[in-house]
Amino acid sequence: MIDNRLTLRILDILNSGGAAFCEIYVQKKISNSLRLEDGQIENSNSGFDMGCGLRLWHHGSTFYGYVDSLEEGRLVEAARILSAAGKSSGGGKVLDLNRELKTAGSRYNAAVKKHPSRTPAAVKKNILKLVDDACRGYDKSIIQVTAGISDMEEEVYTANSLGSQSAHSVVKVFLSINAVAARKDIIRTGYKSLARTMGYEMLDGGKAGHAAREASRIAVTMLDAVDAPTGELPVVIGPAFGGVIFHEACGHGLEADAILKDATVFKSKTGKKIASEAVTAIDDSTMAHHWGSYAFDGEGTPCQETVLIKDGVLESFLYDLRTAKKLGKEPTGNGRRQSYRHVPIPRMSNTYIAAGNAGREDLIASVKKGIYAREFAGGQVDPATGDFVFGISEGYLLEKGKIGSPIKNATLIGNGPRILKKIEAVADDLDFAPGFCGKQGQSLANEVGQPTIKVSAITVGGTG
Amino acid sequence: MKEGLQENRLMEICEKAAAKIPRNKADQWEIFAARSVENEIDIFGQKIETLSFSDSTGIGIRIFRDRSIGYAYTAVLDDYAVEDTIDRAIANSLVTKKDRLNYLPAEDDQRYRNNLFDRDTLFSKDFRQVSIGRKIEMAMELEELTRNADKRITGVSDASYNDSMSHACIINSSGFSGKYSTTIAMVYASAISRESGDTSTGEYFGIARDPAGLNIKDVAVNAARRSTAILGGRKIRSGKMDIILDPMTSAQFLSVIASSLSADAVQKSKSLFKDKIGQKLFGMDIDIFDDGTLPEGLASRPFDGEGVIKGKTPVFKDGVLETFLYDTYTARKDKTLSTGNAVRASYRSTPTVGLSNFYISPGKNDPADMIGAVDRGFYIMDIIGLGSGTNPISGQMSVGAKGLMIEKGRLTHAVKEVTIAADILGFLSSFRMLGDDLQFVPGSGYMGSPSAMLENISISGK
Repeated sequence: MIDNRLTLRILDILNSGGAAFCEIYVQKKISNSLRLEDGQIENSNSGFDMGCGLRLWHHGSTFYGYVDSLEEGRLVEAARILSAAGKSSGGGKVLDLNRELKTAGSRYNAAVKKHPSRTPAAVKKNILKLVDDACRGYDKSIIQVTAGISDMEEEVYTANSLGSQSAHSVVKVFLSINAVAARKDIIRTGYKSLARTMGYEMLDGGKAGHAAREASRIAVTMLDAVDAPTGELPVVIGPAFGGVIFHEACGHGLEADAILKDATVFKSKTGKKIASEAVTAIDDSTMAHHWGSYAFDGEGTPCQETVLIKDGVLESFLYDLRTAKKLGKEPTGNGRRQSYRHVPIPRMSNTYIAAGNAGREDLIASVKKGIYAREFAGGQVDPATGDFVFGISEGYLLEKGKIGSPIKNATLIGNGPRILKKIEAVADDLDFAPGFCGKQGQSLANEVGQPTIKVSAITVGGTG
Repeated sequence: MKEGLQENRLMEICEKAAAKIPRNKADQWEIFAARSVENEIDIFGQKIETLSFSDSTGIGIRIFRDRSIGYAYTAVLDDYAVEDTIDRAIANSLVTKKDRLNYLPAEDDQRYRNNLFDRDTLFSKDFRQVSIGRKIEMAMELEELTRNADKRITGVSDASYNDSMSHACIINSSGFSGKYSTTIAMVYASAISRESGDTSTGEYFGIARDPAGLNIKDVAVNAARRSTAILGGRKIRSGKMDIILDPMTSAQFLSVIASSLSADAVQKSKSLFKDKIGQKLFGMDIDIFDDGTLPEGLASRPFDGEGVIKGKTPVFKDGVLETFLYDTYTARKDKTLSTGNAVRASYRSTPTVGLSNFYISPGKNDPADMIGAVDRGFYIMDIIGLGSGTNPISGQMSVGAKGLMIEKGRLTHAVKEVTIAADILGFLSSFRMLGDDLQFVPGSGYMGSPSAMLENISISGK
C-alpha cells in the first residue's frame, strides 16, 4: 500500500528526535452490513477506511497519531508532530535504523473462497431472507426475527524500527440471529451467531438455516421457563459460549498490561496454582478460520499458541511488544488493535478451556440440586477484581441428576479467580463461539470456548 | 473565528460530493460530514503512558431512491473514494425495503420550529488556550491526588485527560444546510483500593467545555471515595428493603428505561412502554426531560442527525408518560412530529432514534436526609450486568449491586455480591423520594439523575 522509500522516510522522521521504538501501521478496510427486521431489509451500509497509525516510544512513554490518508505530505506532517512531542518529553538516542526491512513470516495459512467483494448485496439479502423463513418455519410462536450480516476485507502493513515488516490480508463474515417467541403475554428471545475469518463459504452446507433454527429453539424452549432459584448452588456451564465467563472474569487479568497497572489478582502468581487441577486454558490465534485468528497481530508479530494455565498452574500472560519489553518477556503475538486509529494493547484471540476427560452426562448426573447454564446474554466484569455478573439466556434446573424445567431471569454473580478453584470437572466436548470484546474503547473479534464444566458453587440471582 | 473556517471547509466537502451524485439514480440525498481533532493523555506512575492525537474527517451519504434508502461512508476524501462511496450508497438502496414514509424531513415534520439555541454554549473560545504541556500536568495531578486521597488506595489504574473539538455539517437535496462546532474536555480516574485481602475499584470523571473548566481535585476525591467506601463488602440476607440509588447509579437505571422510550423500539413491539401513554407509571410526581438544548449538556446540538431542530421534550410529567422520542420516519408512522431525536454516532453510521440530554428533574431532599429516613435499607453505589440482566421487552431486570447498608438512618457496613431482581414497571412504581443533587453521566446520550429512594425492593444475597 505504501512503498519502501516512504516507509523508511517516515521511520526516519519518527526517529529523528531519538526513540526507543518507532512504527508505521497501514490499513485499508472495506466493510458492508445488512440488517433484516420484520421480514424486510432495514438497512444496507458500506464503509471505506484507509489510513496510517504512527507510534513512537520514548523513555517508557508511547506517542501515537494517525491520519485518514496515505498521502506522503500528511504522513510526514503527522510524523513530525509526533517526533516533536517525543523530543519535548526528554529526547533520547537516535536509533540506527536498519535500511533492509526483513519481512516476517507467519504459520497462519487459510485460503478464502467466496470474497465479500465478489458477493453482491442481493446474495446477502437472500441469506437474511432464508434465516427469516427458517426461524418462522421452526414454530408458529416465532413472531419476530432480527438478523444481521456483516463482512469486511482488510489489508494491513506494518514496519518498525526493529527492522521488521509484515503484510497480510483479512476476510471476515459475521451472521447474527435473534428470534422472538410469544405465547399469550410471555415473550422470550433466542440468539445465535456464526462468525469466521473466511468468506461467504462460511455458510455453505445449510449453516445459516441451522443457526436460525437453533436461535428459534432457544426462544421457544424459554416460553416454558419457570422462576430461577436464588442462592449458592452447583452450576454446570455448557460448552462454547460458556467460555465467556473465563474470558471476561479471568482472561482479562492475564493480559500483561494489567500487571503493569497492578490491576490483576494474578500478578506474581506465575508457576503457582490458581485453578483446580482440572483446568488447562489456552489462547491460540493460529487456528485456521477461527473468528479470533490472524496471521499477524496489530504490531506485526506472528500468531502463536500460548498456554495460560496448565493443570491449574499459571504458565503465562499475554504480551504485546511494550509489555513484553517492560516485563522482560517474549511477545506472544497478542498486541492487537481495532484499526489504524488505535494504539495496540495486549488482547486475547481465541481463548478457551481445554477439553477434559469427563462425559457431559456424568457432570449433569452428579448434581442433586443446581443449575445448567447453557447460553449467556453477556455480562459485566470488573477486571481488577474479577467480580462478574452474567445473565443466563438459556438455563435449566438440575434436579436429582437430570435436566429439568427451563429457568428465566437468572444471573450468575461471583468472582472469576475464586470460581477457577471451584471447577470440579471438565468434560470432553470442547466447542467455540464468536463474539466482540471491548477494552479501552477498542472492539475486537474474539472467540471464547470451553467444554461443559461443573462449578461446585456460584451465587445464582433469580426471581424465585 | 477559526471554527467558522473549519465549518466552511466541511460545507465545501459536502457540496463537492453532492455535485457528483447522478441525479437520475437518486430521488433525494443527504450528506453528513464531520471533523474531529482529539487529544488523549494517559498517565501511569507520574509518567506519560500514552499521548495520542488525531485529526480525522469523513463523510456519510444517504441516497433515497424509489422510497428505499442506501448508506455508505468514507474516511478518504479524494474524488475516486467519494465517487465510489456514492455508487455503494446507490447499490445499497437497491436491496433495502421500500416504505412510502422514506423521504427527507420537511418543515412540517418538526415539533420545534424556532431554534432559540445559543450555539456559543457548545463551543469554548478558550479551548485552545491550554497547552499540551498543561494538559499533561493536569492528568498527572489527577493521578497524584487520587493516589494520595486515602491511604487504602494502592493504585490508580487509569488517570486520563482527553479532549476533542468537533465540527459537523449536513446538507440535503431539500435545501437544508446546517453546521455547528463543539468542544469537550474530560478527565477520568479509576482507583484501586485494598484492605485485609479485599480489593475494590471506584471511578469518577469530570467534563467541561474547556480544560480550564475541569475540577481535578473533585474527580480524584470522588474516585477514591467510590473505591474505598465499598471495601470489605459482604453479602446480606435476601429480603425486601428500601433502597437509595446514588445519582450515578440511578442514571444507569434511567438509561435502561430511556432505551425503551424510543419510538422505534415501541413501533417494533420491543418496548414495555407500548400502549402506556397517559398512564402514571412512577410512584410519585416525577418529571423526566429529553433536552437537546441544555447549555451544559454533552448531547446538545442545534439540530439532530437529519437536520431537525432539537428542543426540550417532557417525556414524563408528574409521573405520567407523555410521549415517546421520535425521528422523522417514526413520527410519520405515528402521525406525529419529530422531537429531533435522530442521532448519529459518527459519519460511519446512519441516523437512528436516540437520546439527547435525558434526565430526571431534581427533587428537594438533601441526600443525607433521605438516608436518615430509612430504617433498614441498601444505599447502592455501583451496579453491574445492567445490559445483560435486563430484558427491555418483558421488563424483567436482574443486576448485581454494591454499596452500603443503611441501619436506623445511618450508613453502616459495605455490601457486595448481591442482586436486585425486579420488573421495570414495578421498579418505577416504587419511587418515593428524589434528592436535590442532579448529576449527569456520559453514556448513550447524556443521562442525569438525582439520588432516588425506592420502597420495598427485592434483594437477593445469601
